Amino acid sequence: MKGFSHFMSGVAVASCGPWAVEAALQQNPIFFILGGACGILPDTLDFKFYRFFYKHDVYVEPDPAHPDPQMVANEVARAVQIAAKEHRYVRLKLSSIRLGADFWQQYTVRFDNVHHEVTCQFGSVVNTGQVPVPGTEDRYPEVGRAPIPAGVIQTYDSPLKVDIFDGPTAGLAPRKDGDFDLEFLPWHREWSHALTIGLFLGLIWMACCMIPALFGKTAADCWTLAWQGFVTIAGCYAIHVIEDQLGHMGSNLFFPFTKHRTEGLHWMHSGDGLPNFTAVWLSCLIIFYNLSLRQPALPPEQHFTLWKLLLYALVIPYAIFGILRWLLCLGKPPEGEKGDDADDEWNDMKASS
Amino acid sequence: MLFSTFMMALVSVVAGTLIACVLGCLPGLHIYNVMGFLVLWMLQGSLALPDVCFVAAMTGMVVGWAVMNTIPSMLLGTPDESALFTVLPGQKYLMAGRGYEGTMLTSVGTLAGAYFLLLVVAPCATKFLPISQLVLKGHMHWVLWIIITFMIMSEWPKGGNRGRAGWLKFFDAWKTLLAGLATFLLAGFLGFVLQTASPLSHDIAFQNIMPAFVGLFAVPWCLLNIISAADVPPQRLCKSLDLNGDILLRSVWSGGLGGGIAAYFPVVTGGVGGMLAGHACAQRDERIFIMGQGVSKFIYYVGSFMLLFVPGLYLTRGGGAQLLTRLYAPNGMSDYYLVLGCIAISAGISYLMVSPLSRLTLHLIGKFNYRTVSIFALVLIVAMVAWLTGWVGLFIALVATGIGLLPVLFGSRRLNCLGVLLLPIACSMSGFSPAIARFLGLD
Repeated sequence: MKGFSHFMSGVAVASCGPWAVEAALQQNPIFFILGGACGILPDTLDFKFYRFFYKHDVYVEPDPAHPDPQMVANEVARAVQIAAKEHRYVRLKLSSIRLGADFWQQYTVRFDNVHHEVTCQFGSVVNTGQVPVPGTEDRYPEVGRAPIPAGVIQTYDSPLKVDIFDGPTAGLAPRKDGDFDLEFLPWHREWSHALTIGLFLGLIWMACCMIPALFGKTAADCWTLAWQGFVTIAGCYAIHVIEDQLGHMGSNLFFPFTKHRTEGLHWMHSGDGLPNFTAVWLSCLIIFYNLSLRQPALPPEQHFTLWKLLLYALVIPYAIFGILRWLLCLGKPPEGEKGDDADDEWNDMKASS
Repeated sequence: MLFSTFMMALVSVVAGTLIACVLGCLPGLHIYNVMGFLVLWMLQGSLALPDVCFVAAMTGMVVGWAVMNTIPSMLLGTPDESALFTVLPGQKYLMAGRGYEGTMLTSVGTLAGAYFLLLVVAPCATKFLPISQLVLKGHMHWVLWIIITFMIMSEWPKGGNRGRAGWLKFFDAWKTLLAGLATFLLAGFLGFVLQTASPLSHDIAFQNIMPAFVGLFAVPWCLLNIISAADVPPQRLCKSLDLNGDILLRSVWSGGLGGGIAAYFPVVTGGVGGMLAGHACAQRDERIFIMGQGVSKFIYYVGSFMLLFVPGLYLTRGGGAQLLTRLYAPNGMSDYYLVLGCIAISAGISYLMVSPLSRLTLHLIGKFNYRTVSIFALVLIVAMVAWLTGWVGLFIALVATGIGLLPVLFGSRRLNCLGVLLLPIACSMSGFSPAIARFLGLD
C-alpha cells in the first residue's frame, strides 16, 4: 500500500486507544503522532535508511557521457555468472544515469530465458516526473546482449526499469533446478516488516519512559505512559505489516525467528487506487467514530453506531460511485497496468517525492 | 423587489467573477488581497454595497480565482501555494507544446469540483457537518501535527544514487531531507515572527502573510524560470482532452478528499490538500493527477468559503470567509442558497473564460519568450508586494525568498515552506506557543 494509506491506518489504530483520545482532548497529540509515524515507519526504515547500507556484489554504473548498453548487459551477465559459479545469492545494483538537474536516461534490462541471454536497451530521456522528453526515444538504437549460464525467473513479466533517482536492486537467489529467482528490492521487507520489530520498538519506548522514574518522578505515571505508548507503537507498526500481507510480496513476519518473507494473500496490488483510497477513507471513519465515543460536546441524541456511520459514509457513497463509474464507462472500466508490489511501491515512492 | 434582489446578486456575482478572472491571470496577486481592500474600503466608508451584492461579489471573486489561477501556475510557473503541484506538470505540458491542454485539464477538474461541491457536498452539508464539527471539537490541533509528521516523513531522499553502500551514500541521500527539514523549521520560525511580532503595521494586518507567501512560493519559481528558461515550443490547441468517466471520477475522489481536508481543517491549505490528493489514491495517470489538483484547489477555496454559510455550522475557514465576516454574518437557508447559486453561476462563467484567457497568455508567451514573461511576472510580483505592504513587506518577502530558494537549490520538497503556517499554528493550538515565543525572545 502507499505510504499515506499506512500512515492513516496507523492513526486509526492509535485512535482505538481511549488514552489517545483523552490525551488529545487535553491538547496532547503524542499518541496520534506516534500512530501515524509508526504506521509508515517500516517503509521509512527500508527506503530512507537500510537501502543505503545494503551491500551489493555487482554495481552497474553506466557512464552518463557515453551510455553503453553492452557494458550494462555484460555486468548483469557477470552477476549471474558469479551466482552460478559460486552457487550463492548475488546482489546486483543497477544505478541510474543522471543527465542534468531534471533529466535522466532511462534503460531497461530484460532476461531472455529462451535464448539464455540478458539484454539491455536505452530508452528515452525522462524528466523527474518520469515523462519522456520528445525526440530522445531513438538516440541509442543498439541493444546490448550477453549470454547467461542459467535462467533467471521473474515473478512477473516485466523488464527491470531504471530511470529517476535511485536505481533498483535485484537479488539472484539459487533454485534447486539450477536457475535463479530474481528478487526485486531484496532489502525491502527483509527485516523491517516484522511484527516483532514493532514490539521491540515498543519496548524501547517503555524503557525511555521509565528513565524519569530513576530521577524521582512517580513510577506509576511513567508506567502509564510507557504501556500506552507500547500498545500504540506495536499496534500501529503491526497494521502496516498486516496491510502489506494483503498484497503479493508479503513480509518477513517474525524476524529474526523467520528468515524469509511469507507470501502475501494476493488480494490487491500495493499500487491499486481503490484499495488505497478505501484504506484512507475507512481509517478516517474509524478515527471519527472513536472520537465521537469520547466527545463530551456531542449530545446523546446525536450519537451514532459504527454500522450507521459505515452505511452512510462508505457503503452508500461507494455504491453510487460504482454505479456512476459503470454508467460513465459504459460498463467497461479501463484496466490499469499492474506491476508487482515492490515495483509499485518503488515507483510510487519516487514519483510522490 | 425579489427580481431586483436577484438582478443585484446576478450583476454582482458576474462582476466579481470577471474581476477575479482578469486578476487571476496576473502572477503574484492573490484575490484575498483584492478582497481585503474591498473590505477595507467598505469599513472606511469609501464604498457602500448592499449585503446581497457584497456576498455575491465576494463569492464570485473566490470562485473566479479558484478557477483562473490555473493560468499563472501552469503557464507562467508562478503558483500560489494551493497550485504548487500543478507547476511541474504544467511546465512539462508547456514544453511539449501542450500548455493549453494542461490548463484545460486543470480547469475541467475545477468544473468537476464545482459539480461535486454543489451536487454532493452542499445537500449533505447541513445535516452532517454540524455533527462532525461537534465530534472534532478539541481535536483540530493533532490533525495539524499528523499532517506535519506525514509531510516530513514522506519526503523521498533524492541523493545517494551511486556508489558503494555506507555512510557516505547515506549522507549524500539525506542532504535533501535535511534541507527539507531546515526549510520547514526556518519557514516555521518566520511564521512565529509574523504571528507574534509582525513588523507590518496594523492597518495592513490582513496582508500579514502575503509577502511571506510570495517570497516562499512565487519568487523562487520566477527566478528559476529566468535562470533556466528554455524556448517554449509552438503550442498546439487541442480539440479534445481524451477524458473518460473513469478519469473524471478518480480525479474527483482524490481531489475531493484532499481539498475537503484542506477546506475543513484550519490552516491546512490547498497545497497540503494537493499533496494529500496525490497520496490518497495511487494515481499514475498524469491526467488524473492534474485534474485532481484542479478539483482539490476548487474545493479548498470555494468549499472553505461555503462552510461559512452552512446553516447550523457557520464555520470560518480560509481568507475569503474571514474577510467576509468582518462585515457580514451569514444566517439561514436563504444565504446558503444565495451563495450556492452564486457558486454555480460563477463557476460556469469562469470555466468559459479559461480557454480564451489561456490562448491569450500563450500568445503573449510565444511573442515575448518565456524568460521575458518570467521577468515581467517577477517585476509585477515585487511591485505588488511593495505597493501593498511597503518596504517592510519587501524585506519579509526577501527573507522568505531566501528560505524558498532552499528547496530549489537542494531539490527538496517545496511544500516544506508551508511550515510558515503549519508550525506556529499547530504550536499555538496545542498551547506551546507562549513557551516557544519566550524561548525565541518574541514575547
